[in-house]
Amino acid sequence: MAYAYLFKYIIIGDTGVGKSCLLLQFTDKRFQPVHDLTIGVEFGARMITIDGKQIKLQIWDTAGQESFRSITRSYYRGAAGALLVYDITRRDTFNHLTTWLEDARQHSNSNMVIMLIGNKSDLESRREVKKEEGEAFAREHGLIFMETSAKTASNVEEAFINTAKEIYEKIQEGVFDINNEANGIKIGPQHAATNAMLSSSQGGQQAGGLLLSPSFCLYPPLPAGLTYPPPPQTSP
Amino acid sequence: MLTRVKSAVANFMGGIMAGGSSGENVSGCDLPLKFPYMRPEFLGLSQDEIECSADHISRPILILKETKRLPWATGYAEVINAGKSALNEDQACCEVVEVKKRTGGSTPSRTPTAKRRSSLPNGEGVGLRDSADADGLLFHYWALFDGHAGSGAAVVASRLLQHHLVEQLQEVLEKKVEHESLVVGALENAFKEMDAQIEREKSVYNISGGCTALVAVFLLGKLYMANAGDSRAIIIRSGEVIPMSTEFTPESERQRLQFLGYMQPHLLGNEFTHLEFPRRVQRKEVGKRMLYRDFTMNGWAYKTIEDEDLKFPLIYGEGKKARVMATIGVTRGLGDHDLKVHDSNIYIKPFLSCCPEVKVYPLTQYEHGADDVLVMGSDGLWDVLSNEEVSEAVTGFLANCDPDDLHRYTMAAQDLVMRARGVLKDRGWRISNDRLGSGDDISVYIIPLLHGNRQP
Repeated sequence: MAYAYLFKYIIIGDTGVGKSCLLLQFTDKRFQPVHDLTIGVEFGARMITIDGKQIKLQIWDTAGQESFRSITRSYYRGAAGALLVYDITRRDTFNHLTTWLEDARQHSNSNMVIMLIGNKSDLESRREVKKEEGEAFAREHGLIFMETSAKTASNVEEAFINTAKEIYEKIQEGVFDINNEANGIKIGPQHAATNAMLSSSQGGQQAGGLLLSPSFCLYPPLPAGLTYPPPPQTSP
Repeated sequence: MLTRVKSAVANFMGGIMAGGSSGENVSGCDLPLKFPYMRPEFLGLSQDEIECSADHISRPILILKETKRLPWATGYAEVINAGKSALNEDQACCEVVEVKKRTGGSTPSRTPTAKRRSSLPNGEGVGLRDSADADGLLFHYWALFDGHAGSGAAVVASRLLQHHLVEQLQEVLEKKVEHESLVVGALENAFKEMDAQIEREKSVYNISGGCTALVAVFLLGKLYMANAGDSRAIIIRSGEVIPMSTEFTPESERQRLQFLGYMQPHLLGNEFTHLEFPRRVQRKEVGKRMLYRDFTMNGWAYKTIEDEDLKFPLIYGEGKKARVMATIGVTRGLGDHDLKVHDSNIYIKPFLSCCPEVKVYPLTQYEHGADDVLVMGSDGLWDVLSNEEVSEAVTGFLANCDPDDLHRYTMAAQDLVMRARGVLKDRGWRISNDRLGSGDDISVYIIPLLHGNRQP
C-alpha cells in the first residue's frame, strides 16, 4: 500500500516485560498470553494516519535476554523511534532502564524519539512501580511516557501513534534528515511516485522509454493483487 | 608489487560484475517471473517481514522461529548484504521428500510424485516407516543457493531442484539404490536437468542471473554432499573439521577452463588468450621471454612473447578477485545462460559447469554426539571465517547450551552469522580483531548429525 513515510521503530527492554505482546496487540489487535521467547529479532508493520498522511510503521521487536544484547544492540542504529518497555509489576525491570537508555543513546542516532512504556497496567494489584516514578524517570531523561496494557489494549495504539506524531513533528521542524535512511525514515512511494513522474518528464522523450523500461523489472515484486504502473508511452 | 598491479586491474575488471543487478539481462525483463522473490519458505515470513529483512543499514539476522521446526532440529540463520544488491540473493530450501515408485510400469511421468513432509515437527514420524519400503523411499534435503546478477535463478533452483532429484531417483528405484554411485549419478543429473530447465524456460519467464548450489541429501544412512560453486560444507565431529566440499573458482578450475579455451578457441572470441601470465603482457615485451603456464601445467615455464599473447588472459586476478574472462568469479553453478563479457558477444556459459562434485559421508558408520554437526554456509561466511574459526565458534557455543534445547542449532547459526557480519563501525562492518566483516549475503545451516543415527 502507498504511504507518505515509513518510520522504523525498535522495541527494547528486559525479557518478559511484554514487548512481543505489545507488538502483536498493535499489529493484529490480539493478545497471546503465552509467547515464545524472542531469540533474535522479529518484525511487525502497520499503517497509521497522521495529519492526513499515510505512515507505515515498521517495528523491530528484539530479544530482551542479556545473551542476545550484542545482536540487538546492532539494530538500534537506523531506528527513528524506540519503545523502551518495563513491567510495572517487576521493580527490577524498572531499575534496568538506565542501562537500556545508555545503550540506546550510545548506539542510535541522536534524534531517535524514545517512548518509555510501563506495561501490564491491568495488573494493578501486583504493581511494584508507581506511575509517578515512571513519569519522573521520563521527565528526567527527556522521554515521552505512557502506561499500557498489551492484554486489554489500553493505551497501546496511543503509545505507537504518539511516538509517530513526535517523529512527524521533528520532520516538519527539519530536525531529521529524511534523505538519510540511517535515520529510520523513508519517503514512501506516494512521494517517490511524484518524483519518478517528474524525472521522467524532465528526461525528455528520447530517453524516457529507454531509461524506464529496463529499470522496471528491477523493482521488487509487489504483494499479490498490486501492479506497478506501466512505463510511460514514448511519443513517436 | 606484481601482486598489487595484478589485483588493481582485477579490481577494475571485477567492477563489471560487481554492479550486480544493474547487469541483469535486459532481454527477459518484459517476461513474468517464474516465482516471485521470497525468503526461504521455512522461515514463514510475511511480505512486511520480507521488506524488513532487506534493510541494508541494520542488516537484521533472520532465524528460524521456535514454531517452525525443520527436520533433525536443523538450525538456520541468514543476513542480507551491506548494499551490493537490493535483494538477498542467497536462497535455501529444506524438506523431507518422498520418492514414490512410478505407477503404470515404465512410462516415465513428467510430474514427479514427490510428497513434501517438511511440516512434520523435527521430522518425527518420518522415521517410523522403513525408508526403503515397498512404496518408495524418503530422503532429507538441505540446499543453499547463492545467486549473482539477479535473484531469479536462485529462487527457481530453490523451488525445483529437489523435484529433479526425485525424478532421477525414480529412475533407479527399481534398481538397487543402495549403490552409492547411483545416488551420486542421480544428484549429478538432477543438477544438469535443473540447469537445462532454466535454459528452456528463460524464453517464457524472466529468470535473471545464475546461482551456486550446495545440497546435502541423507538417504539410506549416508549423507551425500553435492557442490557446484563457492559455498562450503564442513562436518565438525568431536571438535575436528572434516571438509565436505571444495570450491570451484577460476583459480581452482584454471586447468579445466584453459583446456576448454585451447580446444575451442572460438569461445574466446578473439579477445582472450587461454594462457596464463604472471601479469598483463605489454606490447613492448613482444619477442622477449616471459613466464607462462598452460592447461597442462601446475608450475611455470618461459616462452617468447608473440602478438597473440597480448590478448586479455582467460583467467585473471588472484583469490576472490580472480575472474573468468574478466566477468565471473565462480565457475560452477546453475543459470547464467545469457551472461556475456561486458560490451561483447562472448558468452561465459560454456566455461561454467553445472556439474556438482559429490562427496559421500557414511553417517551411520559413526557415532555422533549432540555437538557433532554439519555446517553449510554461503561464501559470505567463509570469506571472513576459516574452517577452524567456525569449528571453534560452533563447538564453543553449543557447549554453553542445554543439550536438550532443540533451538540451540539455530542460535548457534545466528551466532555464526553475527561473527561473520560483525558490527557497523565508522569504517564499515567489523568483526573480531578489527578485521573487515562480510558485506555479502550470509546464510548458514547447522545440522546435528545424531538424528541421522536414529533414523532407520
